[in-house]
Amino acid sequence: MRSSNVHFPKDLAEALDVLHRQPGILIFAGGTDILREQGGRGIALPEDVLYVRDLPELRRAGLTERFLEIGAAVTVSELLELGNAALPPLLSETAYGIGSSAIRNLATVGGNIACRSRFMDLWPVLACLDALVELRDQGGATWMNVNRLVSENGKPAFPEGGLLTRVRVPIEHWDAYLVRKVGLSDYPAPETALFSFAARAEKGILVELRIAFAGELAIRSQALESGIIGRSLPLSQRECAQFAESYRELASALSEGLALQFVALVGGAFELLAR
Amino acid sequence: MTISFILNGEDVSANTRSVDRLSDILRERFGLLGVRSDCRCGRCGRCLVFLNGRLVPSCIVPAFAAKGKEIITIEGYALTEDYIDITEGFKDAGVATCGFCDASKIMATAALLEHTPRPSPEQILDQLSSAPCRCTDPEAVVKAVQAVAERRSKRLYHRAL
Repeated sequence: MRSSNVHFPKDLAEALDVLHRQPGILIFAGGTDILREQGGRGIALPEDVLYVRDLPELRRAGLTERFLEIGAAVTVSELLELGNAALPPLLSETAYGIGSSAIRNLATVGGNIACRSRFMDLWPVLACLDALVELRDQGGATWMNVNRLVSENGKPAFPEGGLLTRVRVPIEHWDAYLVRKVGLSDYPAPETALFSFAARAEKGILVELRIAFAGELAIRSQALESGIIGRSLPLSQRECAQFAESYRELASALSEGLALQFVALVGGAFELLAR
Repeated sequence: MTISFILNGEDVSANTRSVDRLSDILRERFGLLGVRSDCRCGRCGRCLVFLNGRLVPSCIVPAFAAKGKEIITIEGYALTEDYIDITEGFKDAGVATCGFCDASKIMATAALLEHTPRPSPEQILDQLSSAPCRCTDPEAVVKAVQAVAERRSKRLYHRAL
């Protein structure tokens, strides 16, 4: 097995310089997604690897008045250590459900978002929270909504050529939320996915609604959400059933098993608004 | 490439390639046979080591990621008083782990108590998900870890006096 050239940049500027010179280089942080399916003796990596796990600029996390800001190389354990006061409940519940505690010590927030083979657990939650990601290259920084990291056919579409440096999660209050893992495996598999739902009401009116679901494919319809926002709460049983049914067509891209579970979870989420 | 790191308290260097797993380097270059490399996907827990104080499955850590870091294996941890707390605490609680999981359960317990001196049953079960094994009743393991926590806090209290 061929050995790779591993670059250890000392700071972000040096990492961006390497990335500029070698745009196709593999960006490596925790490596859990890259290594989890390589059960053989050696690790197969491309010819050039950019090791960013220890870059100080990517290791910071903190709270401002409006945002939770997370460096891309912050591990899932470190994210959880920010505590429930700093983390939206949707995010902390999801992070706590990722792998074992030892895996969470390795897996990074950026790696979870930038995975190109499938959507990992953080994507649907960050999509629900309308989080932004910062992509850096030598030309500067671009902020992009997590919802844009999806191709037209619902597959992951993380942009090539840039380095994911930070994630910014708006701090908002949610009156109802639900997050559920789907599938029997604790590890990513074709029949595993994550469902995420958040809603906010003001004076008995539903003013914000977000539903995202992702595994190998991602589902989120802001058009359907907009059609439901503005309803009076609590929803009637008839409305719950009607709204759940409206998501059935979106689920047709999923396997039969995942589609059934997705529609059932949408129904369960609307039930929360019927109480 | 040659990487330098601290292994069980000593400065060491190793000539590695990017294909090398940390677990393999620790076993084969340094003879630390308490680090196993069985599943090679981070699930079985038999390769757990402390990497800069964090418990990680070393079979899914490339050796190059150890550059400049500190690693403690079960061999290094076995020289500490905390190790004695854990093994004696397990013994007192009547929990006998098997040869498959004893080192990983000790390392997982150590990591938990380092940050959470009085863990809840949920925290214990979550932590021990890193060292899965069906040899022992989970409820018994929870009680054993709580016994270890008690023993450890008493020792630290007496030392502080």
